[in-house]
Amino acid sequence: MNTKLSKWREEEGGIDFVQLVIGLLIISIAAVGTFQSLFWGYEQLDFQMRYRKAISIARSYAEYWQGRIHTDFPEPTAPSFRAIKAGNLAHPLEVLLDERDPLKSDDDIMCKISYAPLNAVDLITTGEGIDYWTIRVRVTWFEPTDNPRDSDIYEDRNGKPHEIEFYTAMNPATL
Amino acid sequence: MHKIRAKLARDEGWTFIEAILAVVLISIMVLGLTIVLLAFKEHLDRSWSIRTMDQYGNDVIERLTHDLRNAVEVTVRNGPGNTHKIEVDALDPWYKSLIHSTVWRADPNHARIFAGRELIDPTFPPTAMGAGESYQIVQFTLTQFGSLTPESQWERLDARSRKDEFLNAAWDIHLVLRYNRAAVAGRDNNWTYEKEYFNRVYMRNKNLMVARGITGDEQ
Repeated sequence: MNTKLSKWREEEGGIDFVQLVIGLLIISIAAVGTFQSLFWGYEQLDFQMRYRKAISIARSYAEYWQGRIHTDFPEPTAPSFRAIKAGNLAHPLEVLLDERDPLKSDDDIMCKISYAPLNAVDLITTGEGIDYWTIRVRVTWFEPTDNPRDSDIYEDRNGKPHEIEFYTAMNPATL
Repeated sequence: MHKIRAKLARDEGWTFIEAILAVVLISIMVLGLTIVLLAFKEHLDRSWSIRTMDQYGNDVIERLTHDLRNAVEVTVRNGPGNTHKIEVDALDPWYKSLIHSTVWRADPNHARIFAGRELIDPTFPPTAMGAGESYQIVQFTLTQFGSLTPESQWERLDARSRKDEFLNAAWDIHLVLRYNRAAVAGRDNNWTYEKEYFNRVYMRNKNLMVARGITGDEQ
């Protein structure tokens, strides 16, 4: 018992001040690294939520065009036919993807939604002219961490945006 | 430098200044880590609750979209709060005279949505929630294309030039869920997170022969 106590009391072999400071420094660096990785993981979860929303937006827009082709599509002779068939890839619509902080509007994430030229498919075997139309919807957006937010204007951002392409088809109603 | 280092690193025990500095440094570290850990725990708790809500919102939208896609008719009535009772009629796959009706309704106070008598997700809202936590259904509606959209959006204008056949079959599902975290301790703040889930459905069957009850047993 006495030997044990004297061993605890001995001054040699204990940690000194420099060792303590270095130890604290190592713990700090490890903590910062851990929190950074956790924050990155949290951002990824947010990205997944936006990705799902973007899919939903693309699907809703595709659904709109499916409905239009099914029941409300202009005749080939109508003036609007060519414009509708040509798509709007060059002039996409801009819609809100994620509001983020509801108290601020400068952190909103917008996305662009457009559709490619509608493509008529004629299965020669049916002999009924156009059998169905193919629809390709495109949704693009930038994540806040993609590039520096030096510009809030979508076109001025550098790099490639995140993109979802939704492909579907529809035939005109015969009822 | 060598002299200072030699002095600090000596094995003759700590000076009073070294001991004080060590205590101060360790205190700052422990305090800082505790604050960060507590803040992060709060952040994780909120994040987890939001993911749970998000999953539920997406589940409801998916299920209702699926039902509407297969339906031949839908009737919308007012429900409690800002909700609708949505009656979805689908044909039986084998007997043309049989129509299955499912009424979708929301219970805003308990944040639950029913399809008929069935709960969409019996595990939502979770039974073991923390103090001050609650979920709320702010909106659960089914509206015709172009009728519930911000003024500036193109749908409202576009809907004016659409045919009735299209408008009667194109529906917008809006579901707004809110997560509340009420202040429990004196210094806490109330916090809420609201998210809108949206989907558009075109009811194909409404504009097909199938809507007139011509099914497999006719062939």
